[in-house]
Amino acid sequence: MLSVREAWRRPELRFLALFLAILGVSFTAIAFKPVDDAIIVPYTAFIARLSGAVLRLLGENATVDSCVVSSPRFAVTIYNGCNGLITSLIFISGVLAFPARWGAKVAGVVGGLAAIQLINLVRIVSLFYIGIYLPRFFNQSHIFIWQSVVILAGVALWVTWAHRFAAPAVDRS
Amino acid sequence: MTSAFESHRSFLRRLPLTLVIGMLVWLLLRPAIDAATAGLAQTLIRAFEHPRVTRLVVNDHRAEVRRADFRSDSKIPTIPLTEIHFNTIVLLALFLALPRPLSRRQLERLFMGWCVLYLSQSMNLLFHVKVLYAMGLGEWSQHTYSEFARNFFGFWRYFTDLPGRFSFPFLIWLGFNWDLVMGLLAPGVAQPDKTEKRSRRARNT
Repeated sequence: MLSVREAWRRPELRFLALFLAILGVSFTAIAFKPVDDAIIVPYTAFIARLSGAVLRLLGENATVDSCVVSSPRFAVTIYNGCNGLITSLIFISGVLAFPARWGAKVAGVVGGLAAIQLINLVRIVSLFYIGIYLPRFFNQSHIFIWQSVVILAGVALWVTWAHRFAAPAVDRS
Repeated sequence: MTSAFESHRSFLRRLPLTLVIGMLVWLLLRPAIDAATAGLAQTLIRAFEHPRVTRLVVNDHRAEVRRADFRSDSKIPTIPLTEIHFNTIVLLALFLALPRPLSRRQLERLFMGWCVLYLSQSMNLLFHVKVLYAMGLGEWSQHTYSEFARNFFGFWRYFTDLPGRFSFPFLIWLGFNWDLVMGLLAPGVAQPDKTEKRSRRARNT
């Protein structure tokens, strides 16, 4: 039987334990209503405004009301699962739990968050147009195509970050 | 460094292709995964149920929650199964993007990883059903389930929902392939284990 100290010395077990701990704490924090009211809802509304702005740039007559982006042709409501926050938190947990220098972790968190938000913006805008032109495929695109793409993009970003910035620290451990 | 650079790049290059393969495999197996997930969740629910009244019937990729003690004219609640097990696509894509995905060792790892993911999906469905029982059936829920039970099932449904669905494939992939993934990041990172073992052996002899 593996003792706690032995398990902690194994990098994969230490990473998994830290990852789950950070993930658990962050998801517990965002489950509280005051956090939801103060951070998540305004953040989701910001993502909706950003999506509306991009759609207007593309010539769509889009208006935004709180978390609802609508035009005369289609409307989407952006919920917590669609604002890129879940993937971002998982990515941040992966970066923080991985053995690397703090500078590399900060660079990973900032760069990763920006990249994930960009991918999520493309996702929302594309889903809006799928809703207009291919409404039959909206649910499939929303649930399993784009969600899988966003998760894999997060993993690819993490692998790239770890390869670029974190490898020397892993070598030393 | 070159080999890590190459394998890292080829992993990223393979990922879009393996995503498509993962989707095709999942679409092909979807009816079987629907039935298997609902079957295990039903078994687990009934294992702790007195009397055993819950049946999960799969219909159009949704699990219908049927209880033998429901009135015959009452509506049948349903839970969408696609959202519960779509992350199989992610697990398949990640496993298949690693080097030599069809080798015996990798297929064994994929099988073990898939089993763990399947268990997490069944647990997610179980918590959906328990939350429905604890919160969604009006006065009966209030009377039958305690405040603690509502919080307990609510927490685990929440945690196995978005956080779990999104992160479990990555965690399982990384957990079962730590040596290979570290090999993608930097050469020789997985080797210290071997040298450690060798030096430990030398110390013992």
